Amino acid sequence: MPGDACIMGLFKDEAKAARVIPELAAAGFSFRRAHSPIPSHRILEALKLKKGRVGWFTLAGGIVGFFLGFALAIFTAVQWNLIVSGKPIVSLIPFFIVGFEFTILFSVFGNVIGLLVCSRLPDYRGLESYDPRCSGEHFGVLASCEAGREGELMDFFQKKGAEVKVFA
Amino acid sequence: MNATTPSVQPGTVPGSQRSLFTLAAVLAAVGVAAFVTGLLGPQPQRAWQAFFINFLLWSAIAQGAVLFAALTHTVKARWAGPLSGLSQAFAGFFPLSLICFLALLIGRDHLFPWLHEDLHGKEIWLNIPFLFSRDGIGFLALYGFGWAFLSQDLKLRIKTTAPAGGLRRWMAGRLPQTEAEIERVRRRKTLWGGLYCFAFALVLSLIGFDLVMSMDPHWISTLFGAYHFVKAFYVGLGALIILAAIVHLHQNRRTAIADAHFHDIGKLFFAFCLLWADFFYVQLTVIWYGNIPEETSYVILRTVTPPWSTLAWIVFIVCFIIPFIVLINRRVKTMPGAMIALCGMVILGIWLEHLLLLGPALNHAAAELPLGVTDGLVFIGFMGLMVLTLTYTFKTFPELLPPGSEAAR
Repeated sequence: MPGDACIMGLFKDEAKAARVIPELAAAGFSFRRAHSPIPSHRILEALKLKKGRVGWFTLAGGIVGFFLGFALAIFTAVQWNLIVSGKPIVSLIPFFIVGFEFTILFSVFGNVIGLLVCSRLPDYRGLESYDPRCSGEHFGVLASCEAGREGELMDFFQKKGAEVKVFA
Repeated sequence: MNATTPSVQPGTVPGSQRSLFTLAAVLAAVGVAAFVTGLLGPQPQRAWQAFFINFLLWSAIAQGAVLFAALTHTVKARWAGPLSGLSQAFAGFFPLSLICFLALLIGRDHLFPWLHEDLHGKEIWLNIPFLFSRDGIGFLALYGFGWAFLSQDLKLRIKTTAPAGGLRRWMAGRLPQTEAEIERVRRRKTLWGGLYCFAFALVLSLIGFDLVMSMDPHWISTLFGAYHFVKAFYVGLGALIILAAIVHLHQNRRTAIADAHFHDIGKLFFAFCLLWADFFYVQLTVIWYGNIPEETSYVILRTVTPPWSTLAWIVFIVCFIIPFIVLINRRVKTMPGAMIALCGMVILGIWLEHLLLLGPALNHAAAELPLGVTDGLVFIGFMGLMVLTLTYTFKTFPELLPPGSEAAR
């Protein structure tokens, strides 16, 4: 909400950072974001995120690639019309190799595109309310509260063993 | 009783275990009766064909399932956890497999078409004494390594001082007592596990060449051995997933087998589904490009000519297309019921695949598929034997069950 204050709790311990995430809502604060210097399964579980849609992009890419590979092989073969070793011009058995390779290639394309789309990247605005220590040895939990409750939120974080950083 | 102690005491025979034992014995007896009836009937070669196909399939299941424990231990993959013990229990089928292999000698006239053919110099390799000697030695080595691996593992698992039964008493007298002895047992376990993996690839390649590929003695595929052992691991994983799922469901999901275990082994099963299809395709491509009649005739007979062409499509769909599409989904791998159905389907598919590979050589100019009630009953009989050996192994060594499990009750 506009006018809300943003405060980050910086934890040195991953488990403490993960524990505090569900407790924020119970204490009447709004959880905004978590920052971790490493991929953290604990924090990921605490966030209770919905399953991402990146897999669907990968699947779509794979299916498109499979048919595109066959189409490319058939198209190029038909351009030359050369009979090799008495085989048909359009030979599906060897063209499967091209289809398979394109499946993998376009699955990767789909995966990267899905990652960019779902993460809303690139984001040139930069991260608001970020502390560089979250790329070092700290786990950051960003939360917000209504104006006037900043002290309560700071106390909450400090009681949980965090350093506190207040953002304007 | 703490969480790491199996709740079934060795030597005790709880009620449901006894009923499972009885059911398995009945299934095995049905299979034996069907086989004997077939032998005494007008077509004994059909009975031998059913026996041969099921011997290959169920031996491959046991060999492939044990490979899982040996492989994960050798490469120090700790994710296997409670699945490792279940996988080793399949070693209980090894003695039966060896007996069935020797029984093939009796039916050799019905099983090896090359006995009555001019082999153009291949007689040096393809003759009964040499074939049974080398394959017998191969089986003995493979099963010996498997048993040695299992015995070292059991020495680390067995804690109770209450031996029951000869095998367990023998084992209990050799348990390591000091840290140095425990370390020695660990090293030996790694050695035997590694040797089992090595022997698995070598011996199953040999079996693939000798007992399957040689049925058409003039046909050659250098990749056939690898195809055979990849297939064995594929069905072995399938059987292991079925066993793990049954144990898990029987215990109302309270075993140490977590969703993550099912997910991980499901991924491995998926990978070997792809590898099996890949090895089939790699052979097909080379034969297709070479276009040599000696090679293409084998494939054409099995994939284009009726009645085998229908079977070929069924095998391809059941063993690759359906598992591939279903296993893309992450969640299905963690659903024991669904995985039992899927893995069961794949095992049936590989059973049919054996018929596809061997059938045309054993049934020249067949107008219809040589598949009848006897084949199904012999399949059920072998399944009963597998359940019998698993039940006996778990009864003797309940430590192989996942911690906290009471599956043998």
